Amino acid sequence: MNVDDTGAQNSMILRRHFLTLAAATALVPFARGAWAQSTDKASAFIKVTGDRLVGVVNGPGSASAKRAQMTQILNDAVDVDGIAKFCLGRFWRTASSAQQEAYVKLFHEVLVTNITTKLGDYKGVSFIMGRARVDGENDVVSTTVNRPNNPPTAVDWIVADVSASPKIIDVVAEGTSLRLTQRQDYASYLMHNNNNVDALISAMKNQVAQSG
Amino acid sequence: MRFVRVPRPPITRVHRRLAYLLALGVCLAGCATKPPASDPDAVADYEQTNDPLEPTNRVFYAVNNGLDTVILRPLALGYRYVVPEPVRNGVHNMLSNIGTPVQLANDMMEGKPRRAGDTVMRFIINTTVGVVGFFDVATKWGYPNHDADFGMTLASWGVPEGPFLFLPVLGPSDPRDAVGFGVDIALDPFTWVGNPRDGTLKAINWARFGLNAVDTRERVEDSLQQIKKTALDPYATFRSLYRQHRHSQIEQLRNDNRATVPDWFAQPTNQPAK
Repeated sequence: MNVDDTGAQNSMILRRHFLTLAAATALVPFARGAWAQSTDKASAFIKVTGDRLVGVVNGPGSASAKRAQMTQILNDAVDVDGIAKFCLGRFWRTASSAQQEAYVKLFHEVLVTNITTKLGDYKGVSFIMGRARVDGENDVVSTTVNRPNNPPTAVDWIVADVSASPKIIDVVAEGTSLRLTQRQDYASYLMHNNNNVDALISAMKNQVAQSG
Repeated sequence: MRFVRVPRPPITRVHRRLAYLLALGVCLAGCATKPPASDPDAVADYEQTNDPLEPTNRVFYAVNNGLDTVILRPLALGYRYVVPEPVRNGVHNMLSNIGTPVQLANDMMEGKPRRAGDTVMRFIINTTVGVVGFFDVATKWGYPNHDADFGMTLASWGVPEGPFLFLPVLGPSDPRDAVGFGVDIALDPFTWVGNPRDGTLKAINWARFGLNAVDTRERVEDSLQQIKKTALDPYATFRSLYRQHRHSQIEQLRNDNRATVPDWFAQPTNQPAK
């Protein structure tokens, strides 16, 4: 192969790259349009869900009524099953199906209990919508949550499956992911209890019983 | 020539005691055992957790928890009870304003001119219009606050965080942040000004230190109680939260690459060619 051949080949490769680049660039505006639409949808979804949450927190009603309303919102807007699975981490695979079922059921209860027992502290809460962006397969909607006696908190809502049935899969407060923190809490608990999922399940039962 | 003693920060003696305590704790509690190589998932977890001193750290977590229950938390609750929220916010703003030199030094060492500019503007606006820093006017005028400390500066220079540490009194940390804490004290001009024998100055420095602790504690009270109530293993939860929070601060620092040319200045690259 002589030098000219290599040069010709190089320029061909270059041209091909250039064409790919041009094609990709041409697609960018469309992609941007699609993104904008998706983030708009995600923002609207978070706005509606947030308003519902704030409505329950600041609204009238007995504790049990509020708990029922909160459960409804969580079921509508949050992928609790997916989060539960994520939080068990590597132990999900080793757990029996009976354990998995009991765990997911308890996870729902723990989540609702944890939220409802501190509703009183959140009285007067409000939030301001921020920007939304696409991150991989999910949309991230930023908000600022203001509650009395506390500094404003930057809260990001991670929304999956925006186009079909949007669900919240994580909440990131001041850079700390709720589900990741929960997963590491459970992982540590399991590590100190012989990796026994039943121990975790009974601890969760205990939590629900104590607060309920 | 008169002998002049080198002025020292007010917490030096505390630090020395902390170092003794730390050494003692390490001797007493030892290290976490690494899981066997036959269990790769457990090894991966162990490495991700990166807490080889966990038993020692847990001892100090318990010690700090005790100190918090009997000293800091009652003080913080009393502070919350006696001082109304707007005043507490004002005090917080003033403390933050006094921290300007350290913040600015770190902004510059991080190579972030826009952050340094924000810090300077915040200081000028809040010290004058904001009445010696009591009101945070600068945020409303487009100069929001940001975090800057020497731990973050080290991170931006590529220094790894190292294993998790739970330090007596100071709480969750890592070697990088522990060094950063010390350097920030050294960077603070208030550590060095005046005659160290001046009792008033010493009192002011200690008052500031104490007020800072109570203010910080009061601001995290609700979150802290909530975590203690809901976590199965609060220590592990705090470890996770501390790391995530630090990573996010450092991430924000890295991503803050605003142009140094102000918006109102004609920007040559954005001008269409005639």
